[in-house]
Amino acid sequence: MTTSVSIDSVTKRFGDSTAVDNVSFDIAKGEFFTLLGSSGCGKTTLLRMVAGFMRQTSGNIRFDGKIIDDVPPHQRNTGMVFQNYAIFPHLTVFDNVAYGLRARRRGKAEIDREVKRMLELVRLDHLAHRRPRELSGGQQQRVVLARAMVIQPDVLLMDEPLSNLDTEMRIHLRSEIRSLQRQIGITTIYVTHDQEEALLMSDRIAVMSRGRIEQLDVPHKIYAEPKTLFVAGFIGENNLLPGTVIARDADGSSLIELPGGHRVRGMGGVDAAGQPCLVSIRPQDIDLGAPGGARETGIDGTVTDIQFLGGTVKLLVEIGADKPITVSLQGRRGMDMPEAGSPLRLDVPLQAVRTFKPEARA
Amino acid sequence: MTTLSTSPNAPGRMQAAIGRLFDFWPLVTLGALVITTLLLLLPVYNIIGLSFSGTEAGKSVFENYAMFFSEPYYYRSLINSFIVSLSATVLALLVGIPASYFVSRYNIWARSLIKTIVVLTFVSPPFIGSYSWVILLGRSGVLTRFFGEYGIPLPSIYGAPGIIFVFTLQFFPFVFLLVSSGLKSIDQSVEDAARNLGSGEFATFVKVIAPLLLPSITTAGLLVFVAAFTDLGTPLILGEKFRVLPLLIYGEFVNDFGGQPVLASTLSVLLLAVTTGALLLQRWLSARFSHATSAIRPLTMQEPTPAKRLAAAAYVYCLMAIAILPLVNIVISSFLKANGPVLTAQLSLENYRRIAGTISRPLWNTILFTSTATLACAVVGTLIAYIIVRRPGRIGALLDTIVMFSYAVPGIVLGVGLVVTYHHPPFALTGTALILIMAYFIRRLPFSVRSSASSLQQLSRDTEEASVNLGAGPAVTFVKVTVPLLSMAILSGVLLTWSNTIRELSATLILQSGSTATVSIEIFNEVVNGNFGVASALGSVLILLTFLPLLVLFTFMGKNEEALV
Repeated sequence: MTTSVSIDSVTKRFGDSTAVDNVSFDIAKGEFFTLLGSSGCGKTTLLRMVAGFMRQTSGNIRFDGKIIDDVPPHQRNTGMVFQNYAIFPHLTVFDNVAYGLRARRRGKAEIDREVKRMLELVRLDHLAHRRPRELSGGQQQRVVLARAMVIQPDVLLMDEPLSNLDTEMRIHLRSEIRSLQRQIGITTIYVTHDQEEALLMSDRIAVMSRGRIEQLDVPHKIYAEPKTLFVAGFIGENNLLPGTVIARDADGSSLIELPGGHRVRGMGGVDAAGQPCLVSIRPQDIDLGAPGGARETGIDGTVTDIQFLGGTVKLLVEIGADKPITVSLQGRRGMDMPEAGSPLRLDVPLQAVRTFKPEARA
Repeated sequence: MTTLSTSPNAPGRMQAAIGRLFDFWPLVTLGALVITTLLLLLPVYNIIGLSFSGTEAGKSVFENYAMFFSEPYYYRSLINSFIVSLSATVLALLVGIPASYFVSRYNIWARSLIKTIVVLTFVSPPFIGSYSWVILLGRSGVLTRFFGEYGIPLPSIYGAPGIIFVFTLQFFPFVFLLVSSGLKSIDQSVEDAARNLGSGEFATFVKVIAPLLLPSITTAGLLVFVAAFTDLGTPLILGEKFRVLPLLIYGEFVNDFGGQPVLASTLSVLLLAVTTGALLLQRWLSARFSHATSAIRPLTMQEPTPAKRLAAAAYVYCLMAIAILPLVNIVISSFLKANGPVLTAQLSLENYRRIAGTISRPLWNTILFTSTATLACAVVGTLIAYIIVRRPGRIGALLDTIVMFSYAVPGIVLGVGLVVTYHHPPFALTGTALILIMAYFIRRLPFSVRSSASSLQQLSRDTEEASVNLGAGPAVTFVKVTVPLLSMAILSGVLLTWSNTIRELSATLILQSGSTATVSIEIFNEVVNGNFGVASALGSVLILLTFLPLLVLFTFMGKNEEALV
């Protein structure tokens, strides 16, 4: 794995507030790397520092091992795709795509060839001489994508490129962007607040919050093994419950008592017995068991509400805690639909229970 | 060496910092500061300096001001200026607000004709209006004689009442246009709510609409006040023994051959103090009374009772008829055979034949100076707007303040300042075309900056960043992306600048020499010599030149008359 972009202890402060707080990571050549987080988490600031529109307060950014902190943005050779397209409205599709090559003073024949090739790749070659205002939002975003890729940038930077599009176009374009990126093999940093987009498209995801990276990993690990409470709450749906550690086993798992006296076994970063902790359980990881019988773990409760959503059925189960637990079942033909008020026993496998230190929230 | 490879070394960083100083935008910022300093700050600084300089050694630095406030001849002029300007302001508001309300709210007839008249009145030079009223109401005026035959004496057009009358008619369009656009920003629901709660139409206007219009009304009032306070042409033609401050400045300046115009500078500083104060007051008031409303559904047209509609229409038509009368008079009298100041009823093209020989030089001057200044305004104005909007910081704020200050400097004051500053070798520019172009440029610069800045603010930064990201440097990005995106705003700014500059009189009177005379100067000279026929022909040409770019602006660029204020 050759490193293409490396972020080395980068911090950005605006006055008293810290937008990006000592962030470090390396991106491999050809990798699709996503910065995921809600607005204000510092992901766009970080992207703009890579593009050179902002300068970090401290730390270095390297492309292929070379520090580029003093390189002005127009000499960095990055290709950026903006949230609101930033298409040049006064230029045709062709001229938009040719813009970067002309700025690099390439020959006319080369420009013609490269622009045509790229427009074919994004399937817009038939619209080369249209003006941007005659194009749909999806087409405009493809022009901008072609414009950013045709210059063969060292890194492709995408700032929420799909958030202004309607759902259907967004779903269509995200697979198109992903396949184009693989085809060309271009290193990409993708910024989004949409976790579905991030999970679907990325090789690796950095989940950001308050200027820091909460977790950096491949998508399925981010989803299945959240390292912090923030990630557990941010990615997917999760039941978060307070508990107390009863015992710690040699295999690293702990026995935890939840409010209402229920006990579960879980994995994660908790301390010794007797300490308070927080537990996350995904609604779809909970199995329905038969009520009654004494076992070491398991949660007894009462169904209070049933939300039928077609493909899934959600049960709200009262277990004697502050909030009911959400259980998500797959809606299948002929399934037994529980009834409100009926007692249930919930079984939770060890791997489905993640434990966190409560102060991790701060 | 390992540390060197992981962190940038100090000399490298320093070099980069020095390199950035010679980047495009820092250079442009420096250039803008130099230009505004040379053309605005230095002249103003010099007249302030002169005003505090004594004619004899050992006297107080306030000698000139002490003299001003002790000699009735001088301080009366300041009082007179206040009298005519305040009266004109009050009258323009009283006349303009109802007219604007009626035209905006009532479905009276010929509303587009009314708006055209307002625009024509607004853009026609005040001094043309003044001498046109002399043709009509002067001692041997057309109307004076007509009514005189029936034994009805008409009031004199000369002196304070005449000046107030002409100012009111000349400047009420400020009120009309600003109140019209103010009315557009009020939502219908506000009025509906007031009516629903039991207010009648008049009570609704006084208690709800007028307070919401207050920012527009105060702005209009102060613009009228400043325009009236600084106008030179009208008192020059109508004043006779009634002296106002600009008139005194002009008089002192003309009488001061080759010396240091100490007294003219002192008077200029006083004039500048008043206009600066008025504009600061305007900024404070509009910030204070701004309700920042925006109308989702603007006030709709009402359907008043026929009697009300008729009464409103009659009022508006009367006002418009009086307002347009001087212009109509100019055009008609340009086609009449003239006998000195007395026009006959005989149609003829003689006036145009007479100007054909003499007009080419001033016309060429006017077009050359105006075009050069307009182009300079467009280029420099857009660059400065970019700095203010896109590169905010201390220097940007400083530039913004300097540019807005130039808005407060009256033409006559700038004229005196430029002469004082550029009178001596090696920068002896007095009497040249350049000094006139400099004056026109700096006077219109704030308008160019404002119009470019407001469209730039609405333009997302992303498009320019995309260009930089694709490898175009700051200068290339500005030329290839920013300018094309602002082209409509720049073009409409150019048309407005052209039509405003071409009729400039006060600074031109100070700065011109015979060979750099413009059409307005020619008109003025003909008026002074009593050749009203020739003056009218020249006036018609000037009005045409003023109105043509606006016609383009309104017809082809989708702007309306509110772009003027």
